[in-house]
Amino acid sequence: MNPQNSRQEIDHLLDTASLSAVPEQRVKQIEGVMVANLRPVRPLASRGIYFAAFAGIFVAVCVASWLGIPARGWQALSDLQRTLVFAPMIAIAALLAFSLVRQMTPADGYSRSTAMLAASLFLWLLVFMLLVFRPLPEPAFLYDAEGCFRMGMMFAIPAAIMVAWLFSRGAPLHPGLAGATAGGLAGLTGLAVLEIHCPILNLYHILTAHVSVTLVCALLGYIFSSVTFPRWRSNP
Amino acid sequence: MDGSSESQLEESSVKPDAAEPLQREALEALMVRYQQADQAATRLLVAELSPQLYRFFAAQLGNPEDASDMLQDTWLRIHRVRHTYRGGDPLLPWVYAIARCVRIDSYRRRRRVAAREVGVDVLPERAQTAGTLASDPPSFEQMVADLPESQREVLTMLKVNGLSLEEIARATSSSVGSVKQKAHRAYEHLRSLLKPHREGKRAGS
Repeated sequence: MNPQNSRQEIDHLLDTASLSAVPEQRVKQIEGVMVANLRPVRPLASRGIYFAAFAGIFVAVCVASWLGIPARGWQALSDLQRTLVFAPMIAIAALLAFSLVRQMTPADGYSRSTAMLAASLFLWLLVFMLLVFRPLPEPAFLYDAEGCFRMGMMFAIPAAIMVAWLFSRGAPLHPGLAGATAGGLAGLTGLAVLEIHCPILNLYHILTAHVSVTLVCALLGYIFSSVTFPRWRSNP
Repeated sequence: MDGSSESQLEESSVKPDAAEPLQREALEALMVRYQQADQAATRLLVAELSPQLYRFFAAQLGNPEDASDMLQDTWLRIHRVRHTYRGGDPLLPWVYAIARCVRIDSYRRRRRVAAREVGVDVLPERAQTAGTLASDPPSFEQMVADLPESQREVLTMLKVNGLSLEEIARATSSSVGSVKQKAHRAYEHLRSLLKPHREGKRAGS
């Protein structure tokens, strides 16, 4: 028997196979419960609005920090360093915002791949940092690192609160991934603020004190979301 | 996978019910009215989608009681997150993504319970599967029972629920290529499983 006939036979068997009948009583019960708890809901705003809002948080926090504190880091960077650090950061922020928008709605595209793309671009950012920064003497390494980490978190936490508030109307199917994405965006905001304001160009300082803000935020987001969001999955 | 088998997969859409089901656009319109708290639309939507969803669960589990519980859980979750559906988007992938989530959660819950259970000496007999049948026409659940979970899921959505390859890809957060591959493998698997049935039929005639 050739494969085509075989496929047709399988199709025929599948098409004519008996199917389970749904218990009508249960369906009536479900209808009753749903109708009893019915009230109008406002659907989510369009994807464009949410994307603009998530990306806007990143931009707004960076601009606010720029207006409030002198941008000594920006001035200390060369043109090449500025390009290779800020261009990937903007691209990562856009990808994370896009991924968050998709994760808010079930079955809204291939959201996992966008988050993974952002993660791989972040690795490229680290590679660029290795290329454009050099190890430099820094006598108060720990003191400086602690100060920068605190400052990064100081800007990342408000960003995380705003992102979480915006995202709270969504229904992520993978809460851990959603939390890591949201935390990653907030942490990236903290990293961008540090790159704008911190004049220390020591490679080790940047890789530890600055980059750790993003990683810590992504990890905290993952943990927080894994604990909080499965609630929508459980029975009332 | 060759081009002809891909096109065959795309052509192999199925009417899930004997009665003509509502068109996708009509279902989407019902969903929008459900969001606006229209009681009649809610009842109609539940009545239209429940048979499909029930069969989706029944084919995965082979247990009508569990399928019925999952159907209820799915509707409760749909009710809770109904605001996340945007009018104009395809409805079925949205519904099946939630249904999948219910099934996965239930599977994990049962696995946790099973880990705490004490085993009995004699195992109960398993339902007859396609591989053991010789002449009786098997039910859909029996036919797909021995398929790996991911293939069974794709085949059920394709043949029982009438979803397109694109819709299945959206519902399962995967690519169309991956869905095609799973469906193709499911057919290959079924071909070998149904061999005894075919031979039995031939011997009978």
